[in-house]
Amino acid sequence: MDEPGLDHGLSEAGCELRLRGAWCIDHLERVDRMMAELRVPHDRAVRVDAAGLTRLDSAGVMMLVNRLRALGVVWSNVSLHHFKPAQLTLIHLVADRLDARAGPRRRRRTPLAVLGRSMAGATASLAGQFVFLGRITEALWDLARHPARLRHRELTVQLQSVGLGALPIIMLMTFLVGVVFAYLLGVQVQKFGANIFVVDGIALAVARELSPMLTAILIAGRSGAAFTAQLGAMKVTEEIDAISTLGLSPVQVLVLPRLIAIVIALPLLTFVGDVMGILGGAVVAASQLDVTYYTFFERLKAVLPLETVLFGMYKAPAFAAAIAFIACRNGFAVTRDARSVGAYTTTTVVQGLVAVILINAVFAVLHPEIPR
Amino acid sequence: MSEPIRAPILEVDRIRTRLGGEWLHRDVSFSIPRGQVVGLIGASGTGKSVLLRECIGLQRPDGGQLRLFGEDIWTLPLERLNQVRRRFGVLFQEGALFSSLTVAENVAVPLKEHTALPGRLRDELVTMKIRLAGLPMEAADKRPSELSGGMKKRAALARALVMEPELLFLDEPTSGLDPISAREFDHLLRVLCDSLGLTALIATHDLDSLWGMVDRIIVLYRGRVIADGPVARVAATDHEWIRSYFAARANEEG
Repeated sequence: MDEPGLDHGLSEAGCELRLRGAWCIDHLERVDRMMAELRVPHDRAVRVDAAGLTRLDSAGVMMLVNRLRALGVVWSNVSLHHFKPAQLTLIHLVADRLDARAGPRRRRRTPLAVLGRSMAGATASLAGQFVFLGRITEALWDLARHPARLRHRELTVQLQSVGLGALPIIMLMTFLVGVVFAYLLGVQVQKFGANIFVVDGIALAVARELSPMLTAILIAGRSGAAFTAQLGAMKVTEEIDAISTLGLSPVQVLVLPRLIAIVIALPLLTFVGDVMGILGGAVVAASQLDVTYYTFFERLKAVLPLETVLFGMYKAPAFAAAIAFIACRNGFAVTRDARSVGAYTTTTVVQGLVAVILINAVFAVLHPEIPR
Repeated sequence: MSEPIRAPILEVDRIRTRLGGEWLHRDVSFSIPRGQVVGLIGASGTGKSVLLRECIGLQRPDGGQLRLFGEDIWTLPLERLNQVRRRFGVLFQEGALFSSLTVAENVAVPLKEHTALPGRLRDELVTMKIRLAGLPMEAADKRPSELSGGMKKRAALARALVMEPELLFLDEPTSGLDPISAREFDHLLRVLCDSLGLTALIATHDLDSLWGMVDRIIVLYRGRVIADGPVARVAATDHEWIRSYFAARANEEG
């Protein structure tokens, strides 16, 4: 009984539509089908009769108004009968608001437009990178002339979270990688009865590549993501704007302590990583390869020159600067919507890892010689 | 459909709420018949927003009953509660638009979730609601962050209205708007309530809204309803808080 219905009759006076049942959102598709079958000569008067109508909502009115207009009926030629006063108000409101101006609104983007948009976005973001780099350089220069402006408290806090906080995980990871690497290498050197050479391999691999890379990757994920999320959340709550209006430089207050902290902490962590990785190797050598701890460290003194250790540690500040730059830049780029912080944090981690590996490759190409 | 038309659409029956060790609502009761636009006032911290949250099933009261469309919503299983939720719309204080979607997509969310309408009809409905809420069509493809406060409220109203609700809950609909936009929004609300046959419960601080568009006001004070009736009658009530509340406006104008 609630199903919507529509009868129509044609006379010389005009066309008559008799609405039945519930014209509402729950039956909208049915109403749509009925109206689609309707044919009305568009120059005649249309009489709409609601005697059999049980319910009417704005969706139902919309169907009536839009479909009659689509058939070319001029709305002023439509006369309404037996509607309740409230329904008449509704019809007038909807017909009034849904005037001709409400045209098709959906614009599909062509692939070319999408490409253009992303290219324009990438260009703008590249320009933004340079501006940010400039602001950091400016702040660093300022700091070099006025060292007292360094925020000791913030720097200490960051050093603690970036450096001390990461110590356990760095120690565990590098130790395990040392163990695995020594084990794999041990299986090979054992074939030649050259067990002692496992020391050469471990020392070189850990000090030159594994420890710097692994530490940088862990820090890029751990601290890089933290920087972006912290700065992003501050951006969302307008705290960064507040810092600017208090006459302080957000770069000076927020970015520099993080940048300096990570540049100091990463080489130190790398050194800890060197020690733990070699220790992991020594454990495997002693237990699996009959190379005693004494022999291992005697051999280590002979085969690991200081230059190799320093080379690994001297890559670390470059990794650190790249991570801090990417993380802070993305933190400042966060916009005020719910997904933004998450999206930029993801971007930071991905870009950070890519940057670390790229920089490492550049170092490897620039310094191919291995000191003996 | 099943309940008689005469039955109140919302019944708040001896609601008690305890929050942070104190009774926020000691004994709150009122009922709203179909078609009435009711203002809910009270000092900050008297639990207007909490009461609204209880009415829409987001926060459980510690005692009493809340009946929407004749059903005690806090005893309903979730599935039935969600059916009842389809019959009312909510306008949150800050609009609560989904920030990653455009206005049109925001308005389309309830339609996508609750109906199987084809995209063409959905777009048509979305366009109509956006127009009904008084937004220009250019706003449809914008994101909430690109809109002014008044436009956000209108977009949120369009979303609240899209499922053709019978009842609308509004939490401070004019807060954060300038007086002119606030009066326009009041007017829009009143027109929509009258023509869509809506019942509305509005928690508000805005005295002009109360005088201009509300049929009846309910005053919460220290966990109880201390006055309930048409604005003029409530304003004449002899109660200290109500006197100073309405005097604030008299001073403003004098």
